[in-house]
Formats: sequence, structure tokens, C-alpha cells
Amino acid sequence: MSDEKLNGKLTGKDYWRSLDQLAETPEFKEFLHREFPEGASELRDSVNRRTFLSLMGASIALAGVAGCRKPVEKILPYVTAPENVIPGIPQHYATTMPFGTSAYGLLVENHEGRPTKIEGNELHPSTKGASNTFMQASILGLYDPDRSQRIMEKNAERSWADFVSFWRTAFDRFSTNQGAGLAILSESFNSPTMARLMREFKAKFPLATWVTYEAVSNEHVFEGSNIAFGSSLQPVYSFDKAEVILSLDCDFLKTEFDNVSASRGFGAGRRITTENDSMNRLYVVESTFSLTGSSADHRLRISSSKIPAFAAALASELRNQGLSLAVNTTNSGEFDSKWLKVLASDLLKSRGKSLVCAGYRQPAAVHALVAAINESLGNVGASVVYVQPADAALPNRGELTQMMTKISSGQVNTLVVFGGNPVYNAPADLNFGNALSKIENTIHLSMYRDETSRAVKWHVPMTHYLETWGDTRSSDGTASVVQPMIEPLFGGHSNFELLNLVVTGEDQRGYDIVRKTWEAVLPGSFEKGWRKVLHDGLLQNSAHQPVSVSADGLRINAALSALPKSDSGLEVVFAVSSQVYDGRFANNGWLMEMPHPITKITWDNVAMISIATAKQLGLTSGDLVQLTVGGRSLEMPVWHVPGHADNSITVELGYGRTSAGRVGDKVGFDLYSIRTSDASDIATGATITKLNREYFIACAQDHWSMEGRPLVREANLEDYRKDPKFAQEMVEHPPLESLWDEHSYAKGNQWGMSVDLNSCTGCGACTLACQSENNIPIVGKKQVSNGREMHWIRIDRYFSGSVEDAEMVHQPVMCQHCENAPCEQVCPVAATVHDKEGLNVMVYNRCIGTRYCSNNCPYKVRRFNYFNFTKDTPEVVKMAMNPDVTVRFRGVMEKCTFCVQRISEARIKSKLESREIRDGDITTACQQACPTSALTFGNINDPNSRVNKIKAQNRNYAMLAELNVKPRLTYLARIRNPHPELVTGAKVEHHG
Amino acid sequence: MSAKVEHHPETLIQGNPKFSSVTQHISQIVEDKTKMGWILLFGLSASILMMLLGAVGYLLFEGIGIWGNNQPVSWAFDIVNFVFWVGIGHAGTLISAILFLFRQKWRTSINRFAEAMTIFAVICALLFPSIHVGRAWLLYWVMPLPNQMAMWPNFRSPLLWDMFAVGTYFTCSLLFWYVGLIPDLATLRDRATTKIRKIAYGIFALGWHGGNTQWKHYELAYLILAGISTPLVLSVHSIVSTDFATSVLPGWHTTIFPPYFVAGAIFSGFAMVMTLALIARKIYKLENYITLNHLEKMNKIMLVTGMMVGYSYGCEFFVAWYSSNPYEQFAFINRAFGPYWWAYWTMITCNVVVPQLFWSKKLRTNLAVMFVVSILINVGMWFERFVILLTLTRDFLPSSWGWYWPTIWDGMTMVGSFGLFFTLFLLFLRFLPMISMAEVKNVLPQADPHYHVADDHNADKSVKPHPKPGIEPGTAMGGAGL
Repeated sequence: MSDEKLNGKLTGKDYWRSLDQLAETPEFKEFLHREFPEGASELRDSVNRRTFLSLMGASIALAGVAGCRKPVEKILPYVTAPENVIPGIPQHYATTMPFGTSAYGLLVENHEGRPTKIEGNELHPSTKGASNTFMQASILGLYDPDRSQRIMEKNAERSWADFVSFWRTAFDRFSTNQGAGLAILSESFNSPTMARLMREFKAKFPLATWVTYEAVSNEHVFEGSNIAFGSSLQPVYSFDKAEVILSLDCDFLKTEFDNVSASRGFGAGRRITTENDSMNRLYVVESTFSLTGSSADHRLRISSSKIPAFAAALASELRNQGLSLAVNTTNSGEFDSKWLKVLASDLLKSRGKSLVCAGYRQPAAVHALVAAINESLGNVGASVVYVQPADAALPNRGELTQMMTKISSGQVNTLVVFGGNPVYNAPADLNFGNALSKIENTIHLSMYRDETSRAVKWHVPMTHYLETWGDTRSSDGTASVVQPMIEPLFGGHSNFELLNLVVTGEDQRGYDIVRKTWEAVLPGSFEKGWRKVLHDGLLQNSAHQPVSVSADGLRINAALSALPKSDSGLEVVFAVSSQVYDGRFANNGWLMEMPHPITKITWDNVAMISIATAKQLGLTSGDLVQLTVGGRSLEMPVWHVPGHADNSITVELGYGRTSAGRVGDKVGFDLYSIRTSDASDIATGATITKLNREYFIACAQDHWSMEGRPLVREANLEDYRKDPKFAQEMVEHPPLESLWDEHSYAKGNQWGMSVDLNSCTGCGACTLACQSENNIPIVGKKQVSNGREMHWIRIDRYFSGSVEDAEMVHQPVMCQHCENAPCEQVCPVAATVHDKEGLNVMVYNRCIGTRYCSNNCPYKVRRFNYFNFTKDTPEVVKMAMNPDVTVRFRGVMEKCTFCVQRISEARIKSKLESREIRDGDITTACQQACPTSALTFGNINDPNSRVNKIKAQNRNYAMLAELNVKPRLTYLARIRNPHPELVTGAKVEHHG
Repeated sequence: MSAKVEHHPETLIQGNPKFSSVTQHISQIVEDKTKMGWILLFGLSASILMMLLGAVGYLLFEGIGIWGNNQPVSWAFDIVNFVFWVGIGHAGTLISAILFLFRQKWRTSINRFAEAMTIFAVICALLFPSIHVGRAWLLYWVMPLPNQMAMWPNFRSPLLWDMFAVGTYFTCSLLFWYVGLIPDLATLRDRATTKIRKIAYGIFALGWHGGNTQWKHYELAYLILAGISTPLVLSVHSIVSTDFATSVLPGWHTTIFPPYFVAGAIFSGFAMVMTLALIARKIYKLENYITLNHLEKMNKIMLVTGMMVGYSYGCEFFVAWYSSNPYEQFAFINRAFGPYWWAYWTMITCNVVVPQLFWSKKLRTNLAVMFVVSILINVGMWFERFVILLTLTRDFLPSSWGWYWPTIWDGMTMVGSFGLFFTLFLLFLRFLPMISMAEVKNVLPQADPHYHVADDHNADKSVKPHPKPGIEPGTAMGGAGL
């Protein structure tokens, strides 16, 4: 935003929401005033299901605008051009995406006033320029046409003024009775302003109740540190400083908090350039096969409910090997003793340079024990520090349970729910929906008219974080401002504004509320400091100081012994979804269609079980079962996963929504319906009954094995040292000669890419970054099941080893930009050709859609528009499109372009500056998003470019090079670093 | 036509018809009142054709997505049917051109409708590549037309070769067929009793009056067109096979494809001619013209080409093994034992096993057997193309392996193409002489100038001398006579 905009002086209310509002087109007016966008009511029709999913939802029919072949576009010049906005030149502003008690620092690309692309902020420690799938997809959430658009009192539409006057009446009452009968149900946050308002609230209404609830959170982590250190502290991990890492059910690379910085650190510790470099070693003990498990050098699969026993056994082993650990634990003897011994010795050998972490699902006692182990190993202060989350509202599910008793006894007459969706995701035994009806005044601030909003008296639309003035702190305490990129599209108010209204009874703008907090925070000249914070996206050096800690063995012992004994029956592990998280992203088509990192399933959640358990229960993938736990049952499909722990069922939360919107409604199965407050993470004693019915699942990759083909090449570190060129020697083939004189690519910029399979964790941030950057449509479950997904970069997943103790590898595959491209030769109309910079370019306008190129592509990376997938894209979703990239019409082929629009942008810039394009000027979207920097793009004709240096490494190989296609994209072989004592056989396989 | 006529080598036409009765018999089929059977069949075919038009209309409106094609199976029924129909066409050209050049007189009874079958089959074939492209309205971009971008199509693309090859084939076949029709059209013109028929046949007869110069030019033109068409028989399917053979895919990238495809095409084409001939022969009582002798000869050709196809199947496996290329080896094992094994074994059964029946003279002269076998062969040959296309389901990267299953629209388009074929074929039967009168007369014994002295010179005693029919002057070569 320009400075004027930041100050809110110049533009103020004249912000426009879209080009169409400027245009005042009847379509847009109608859109604003219909409660359900046109088409929403037609969605349930199965015949139309394809059409509506083909886009992100159904249609806003653009009567008279939709031409037969090409959309007719209206363009409007500015009457008064805004300052600093040059049409066609994007602007980047820093902001922050709050996420529970954490936050992600962002840099947002804006085109003519509308945000289109999210990147990590390189200055911000939470992302360091990288991103994850949730960050990437949140841009689509901004433009979700299903977002709530008006304030509702029951079913009547109200104005903000109505609501304010309603609240003032209540406020006057609570001001006099100290808040008796008032309750707040908030999501967790970590924000100076929210914390200030919360403190004011508690001071002003001492009799009121404040509950912080999250269905999925780090509350056990805080509770664990409370047990160990006597204070709820936030651990801040530095994975880059750890040489030996042990994860106990902790998917720190994907579904845990702060997975971007964790991936950054892990990737740094993993990176090697020669066979003589050393790399970290990751041990993972878990039930479900997580992405972290797939990156492991050693993985032990045990039930999640046995992990406390494992942690105890490890503590005992560490003590046996001489670590002074003030806890009394016993080794139950049920775990591989050699494995334990080696792990313990490895941890001990790397004192101060190791790290043990436990997953959010594990009970607090395990976190306490882990904290004690880390402390004893000397890791505290090195690979992990503890900070006091001073401005955070720490989640506590117990508080909700306590509030329920207050509600049932009639002690609450007014409940304000800030965000969240408790009717959907509160523990099933609490019957939160029923309880709401007993409260006189219920208010829900929410982005959607969701399950909770429909059950309350007052619903107030909430702004998206990209429309909000706010502030936040990341886990380490780094403070930053949430700066809006656009005026609220659908009206709405932020939680800052509503909480301020609740506390003060005054209707103030978020901008003023936040500035008020920061006036007290910023040192020196406020205006100067404020602008710097906005510019940088953070307040430099604002991270919390580490707290010195000392573990209390007695309390840990007590907590451990209070843990229930694990039984041997079936357990159900409630995992957070890597697609829709806890359900908050359920209406996000990009995430819904993102293949699950392990199963590659889209548009569904399944009960994952091991092969042995499936066999034992007589189940195969896709069978519908009745899953019963704690007296509650649910029908859902099972899916067997190699490497899953036996007698354990992993189910993912967040699906089965009923009021999510056109994308998320009735997709998958609602696990909250069987999740109770006493067994919210791991429930034991489950039963599965086969129903003799099958369920249709859209799986994007159902083949497990690499069939012995040298596609992903990997070796153990020791074998790599013995045979550094193993990757290049894996395939024997005749000399790669061409029949013709080949085109010379010796001059100018020659683009190429390298993918380091050793760093790649398979998280999929690249897939979504590409989707956002390149306007890639979503196609819906049916089309995915027919193999018509459009992702330009996919993550191939293969299992190796035995199906029981399988290992997993990931391989991002996009267009390899072959110099000798098979696709180019076969196109009859020359719609795919090489440019002089070595790019295999796709000329959409020329393509007639024979699809021959796709047949002849050995990597199958081409994507065909089988339908007009963007035909029904709602007007508002079109605002999320990147104007630098063509939206493809039906009947044409498309594929990865190496972000040719970014190359052009860099070229124009370099020309304007009369210089050559420098290495690093161009970052492709996938490369930019990658949290482990596995992807490198650049000029392979420049001997000093980073990509050239990487390609010179001995792990470099081209997939299917034997076809003489000369791909410009090459891979670096994956190296595993197992402990020599645990290696059973040589890992280098020579393929014929 | 040829200068030297062998003396009664065998009885090609039975029943000892006169020249006039040949004309009468064949012309009558066209001139009689429309038979109820024809109307019913035409109604059925035209309905199926309407279904095709509906399916194609919806396809153009909605997109290729209505079919089952997907990633990785970008080509499926569309190209299966294309190759199938092109293959069907081959027998017609082989019969009319190659057998003509090799002086195989027995071809005269079947060449007309075999050629018609070729043309209609090629029309059906051309339908598929035209509608299977994502943007059919821009199909003309494959042609080297002058354009504002000064852009040539990509001459390296086998699809472009296809367009030239099939286009040339269609043009030559049409010309060849039409030239052959001219004398018969003139006969029909002369026999016409209504004005419309007179004008219509008159226009297409191009003023033919059966004069000596006309015959001379006609025969030369026919010979030249036969000469041009002959290499096309080999080239068209060879080039169609390069769609697959020039790709990099395992199972497609094989040098055996051109001869293998040509053999398969002739195989399936003869089977189709057989199916049609048996039906037409029965309905229009043409047993004297299309004799058991003709049918047996065709069966022998099917046996030979079937063996060639079988050899090719075996050879593919051998080469896959011998190449030591794991992708190639997998592709073939997968064909036989993968998810689509049933298609492979249907193909083997129909194309390799079933034709072996024709080793037995008894079976290859049995009408019921040859009818069933001819249909099975075409089923098998359709599956051959299906098997080849479904190689796409599993290529290099197991991650992108997929499945294919046709949709109702695939089925409607495929069945609909038969509707198109039979509609055209029935129109042909109704309005054009299905047997070349001029050529058949040519092989009648009395066409031989030495016919009356045949008994003196003919050493071949196995052929019984024909009873001497009267020769009507001026009708020997058909045309203007009656």
C-alpha cells in the first residue's frame, strides 16, 4: 500500500473492491445482494456436479458476457489514476498470516490493488521467504464467494449499526455487573493488540468467562512445559542446529505448527554438496506414515498410544548410558532394544547438537519428558529455546468443558464466539450446539455462515487477514503487523474490531486499535518505526528472550505415572488434515484437490490402516466400515497404507462439513462426531465393522512401487561415499547420439532447474504455489478420479522395502524441458516448440488439442483442458488470477512453463537497467515456495550460476536420460543417513 | 481390358448369364421399388447415424471430457476407431487396385462394393481425428495453408503425414471408384424411366456413350489410378502406424509396426468385405456373381494375413525380450497379463486362433462359418488397436499410471460410426450398381473373342464347355447397349 493508504487519509472509503464495482456492472451488484451466489442452489444436482466443481464452485452466469469461444472482456481506464500504481506492474507488501499461537510472515503480490500471490517474507523468521500449502491457498480463501456477506440476527439481515446498538445495551449491563453472565469463546492467538484487549476485558469484566478453544493445537506442548518447568512456555526449535533429531509422533515438516521454519532448518541440516559433507540424522517413531516419517533415516512404527512408553524406555536407556536425567522411567521391553540403544547413543554422542520433539497429539507428560531429555542432553539453549508467549491466548480444551457446566447451570447469558467453529469441532460429548440454544444472546464472528453461525443469534461476517488491520507474534515472539491488501470485499469486521467493541463499547477502526497498541511498543519515533514495521513486515529483534529452564523430575514422574496404561486394542488417532487443517480450509478448492501427501487421495478423508491390520480385518482400500469408538460410530472408507503401524487407525479431521460452502459441503467424513473430550487425540478401544459396501475415492496416484525403475535414485551416505557417482551409473545405455545435427544452445541465457531429492520433503507447497501463480483450475473429485487433475507440478510418491516397514520417497515432477523434446516433434501445428533460451514453450493459441504431445511425453507432465474448467469461475474468484498468465480455454494442452512470465519480467527489468539478467533475478513460483530450497532455477550457460554448480554435483542425474531427451531439469539423488549399526544391507541398487 | 484373355481359366460367374441378363439383374436392384427390408435397415442405420450426430454435437459443445480419455490415456476410442476404420478400407483398394494389376479376374464381382466400403470406411475413419481434437474448429491449421503468421505446420509430426496419407488415399479411392462407375452409370442413365434419374445419372455418367476412344481413355485412366492406388495400400497404414512407431513410448516405438499394420488392415478389410458380401449376396440373390470360389479365395487371404498378424504379435514379444529394455519388456508383459489382459487375449483368440479354421476346406467353404469368423476377425482387429492404445495406461513413470474406461459417449460415437457406414452403404446399394456390370461382362466366357472356337483350342478339359449363349452385339462391353 502506498503511504497515503496506510495512513488512511487519502483513499479511505474510496477503496474499491474490484474492477467490476468500479464499473458498477449489474452482475456485480447482483452478486453483492444475493445471499447465495447464483448457482449455489443448483449445486446438489449430480449432473451438474462436474460443472460446479470444475471451477471452485458454481457459476455466476455472466449473461451476455460469455461469448461462445472467447470471453469478452471489459476494460476500464482509471478516471483518476491512483498514485504509485502502474498498471501491469505488481506491487509487493509485507503482512502476516496469523495461525493459532503462531504466525507466518508474508510478502503479497498485488496487481492493481488486488492481492494475487502469497510468498514468504525473507526477513521474517517464521518463513524466511518460503511458504506452505495453507499460506499459498489462503489467497483463494480471500476471494471465496461463499464468504458471509451480511450481519444476520437469526434470519434477518441487520446493519453494523444495529449490531453496535445491540451490543451497547449489553455493554451497559455488563459494565455495571462486572461481566456476570458474559462469556467469550475465542480461538487461540498471539497478538499484542488482542492480548491488550483481553487484559482490558479481564480487568473490566472480572466475573466474565474467557475460554480459548482450538480443536487442534499445541496445548499439550504448553502443558508439558508447565509440568516440566512450571510455566507454559513455547519451545522454539532450530532444526538446523541439530545433528540427530528424534521425532515422537511429530510431523514437524507438514502438519505441526511452524512447519515452514522447521522445514527450513531441517533442509539446511540435510543439504550436502559432496560425499564428504555430513548431514543430520532423523529418527521417527510414529503410528501413521507422515511426511516427516518419509524423510526419516530410521523409522519405527508403533501405535501412537505406545509412544509414552517408548519415550519412557528411551529415557531409561539414556540413563543407562550415563545421562543424568531426573525422571524415574522404566523400559517396558516391548521395543527393539538395539534400535533404542543405537538411538540413545546417537543422541548422547551429539549432546547439544541433537533434538527430541513430540507431536501435538501426544499427552502433556510426554512433552514434559521430552523437555527434560532435551535439557539433560544440553539441547536447551542450542537446538531448542523456550520463550514466554506473553501476548498469546493459549488454547485449553478443558476450559470449554468447564464453560459447558456454567452454560447448563444458566450462568451464561451472553456468549461471544470469536472465529472458530465450535458447533462443528467441539468434542461430541459436549453437545455444544444444544448448549448454544440455552444462551439468550449468542454472537459469532466468522468468515462463513458456518455451522456455528447458523446456530447463534447474531452472526457478524469476519474479514480475511488480507483485509484486516491487526498484529501478531510468531512462535518465537517476533512481532509484526497484519496489514490489509484490500478493503474488505464483503464488508465484515475483524476480531480486533469486535473485541474492541466488546471491551470498550466503542466502534473503532482496526487501524486505530492496532496503532494504539504499537504506540506503546515501538521505541523512538512512532511514525518512522511504524512505517518500517509495515515495510519490513516485522519489528526487528522483537523475538522473546529465551527463558532459562530447569526440569522438575518429580512433577514429570507424577504426570507420567498418571498416564493411562496403553491397551493392545485398536486405537484411533485423530490427526489434523494436511489439506483442510481442522476444517477451516474446507471450502478451499486448491487444498481439497491437493493430493494427500501419503495416500494421494483428493476430496476425501479416509481411515488409514496398516496392511497387516487390513488383512486381519478382511478389508481392502475403499471398503466402507463402521468405525466405533467411545460408544460413537461413523461410517467411513478405509485405506491401507504401507508403513502404517498395526492396530492403529489414523483419521483426519476437518471433513464432512455441512455449512462450509459449495466446495467443502458434504466432502468426506466428520470425525468430530466421534471425537470426545476425554479422548481428543488418541482414542483406544475402537472397533471396525465391515459394511460390505465400497466407497468411491479419487486417488491421484494409486501405484506404490517404482517397479525397480531408476526414477528416484537413492543411497545410504556410506555407500554414497564409497561410490560417489552411483546416481549417474545406475542406468546403462548406449551412447546418446542423435541422428540429426542438434540445435546449439550455447549462447545467451539457457534456463535449467535442479531438484534436490535429498531436501525435498514432499510437502506440496510447490504444487499450490504453482497453482496460484499459473491460474491452474481445480477440476473436482470425478475429474481427478479420471486422471484429469491439472497440477503442473506433482509430487510422485513411491514406497520401497517391505510393505509393512516401507520407506517412502517423493519426487516433484513437472515439465523437464527436454532439449530433444518428444512432445515438440509430434505436434502437427507446432504449438509446442523450443525457444532460444531452451524453454519448451506451449503456444496455447496455436494448440488444436490433438493430445499427441501428452502421449509422447515420457514424464506425463502435460495437462489437457478436457472441459472449459474456468467457464463457471465466479467473478470474485477471477480476482485471484494472475494477470500475467493466460487462462487456458478448453481443448488446449498446458504444462509447466518454468514461470515464463517471471523470466519475462526479469528480462524487461534487466533491459531497463541495461544489464544482463543476474543469477537469482528469477525465482520460479515452486522454487520460491519450497521450504527446504530443494529447487533451484537459473542459467545453465553461466558457469557461476547456482543451478550450474548444483548440477555439477556428483549426485546429479537426469530421469529417463537414456531416452536421449536431454531434460533441462535434473535431480540430485537422495541420500539417507542411517546409523551404521542399524544398516542391514547395501542400499545402492543397480538397475538394468 | 487386357489384351490377352486366358481361355476359360475357371468359372468366375455361375449360372451362365447373358450380357443382357447381367445388366438386367444388377440394374434392377437399383431400379426396382424400394424394398421394405432396405427401408427398415436404412431406418435403423440412419437412426444410429443421428445418434452419432448427437454425440458429436455434444462433444463439440462440451469438450473432449465427455469421453473417457484422460491422463495418461490421451488417445483412446477416438484413435482406436480411426485406425480400425482406416484398416477396414484397405481391402477395397487391395481388391480393386492390386488384384487388378495382378490380373486377378475373380475380383470383378466384389471390387465395386469393396471399393465403396473403402470409401465409406475412410469417411468414418476421417471423422475421428477431426472430432477428437480439442478445438475441432481449428483443424484446418494442420494444413499447409497460407496464413498471416507465415507459419508452416510441423512436417515432423506423424499426424501431419496422416492427414496427407489418408487424404490422398481418400481422393484416389474416390476417383478410382468413380471412374470405374462411369460405364455403369451410363447404363443406368440409358435405362432410366424417370426424368430425375436420367438427369442425375446423366450428370455423373459424364456423357459416356461406350465409344471406342472412350473405352481406350477409360481403361488407361483406370490403369493409372490402379497404379497410383497400389502403393497407397501399403503407405496409408504404414503412415498411420508411424503415429505410434515414431513415439518414444514402450510398446509403440517399434519398427515392425508398418508391415504389421498393413497386414492387419488387409486382414480386417477382407473380413469386412466378407461380412458385407455374404449379406448382400443373400439379400440380392447374387450367388452367381459372388460365388463360393470368390469367398474361398478371400478366406485364404484372411488366413495368410492372419498368420502375418500372429507372427507380428510373437515378434513383438521376441524383440521386447531381445532388446533388454525393461520398459519395453514390461509393456508387453503388461499387455498380456496386466489389467487389460482380457483385451489382449480377445485379440489373440479372434485374430490368431479363429482364422486357423480356414485350413480346413470344409470350413472355409461353409457360409455360416465364414460369416462368424469374418465378424470375429473384426472384433479381434478392433481389440488389437484397443490393446495398442491402452499401452498408454502404463508407461515410464509408475506414478502416472492410470486406467481407462469408455463413457457412454465413447460408445455412442463408436456405434454411431457404424451407423454412418451402413447408411452410406445402404444408399450405395440402393442407388448405384453394387457389382460392376461392365467388368463382370468382361469375364463372362462370351467376352472372349475366341469364345466360339474355344472348344477347339481349350486344352483345359476340367472346365466344362459353356452352353453357347447368344451374343448381343454392342453389349459386350456394357454401356450404351440396352
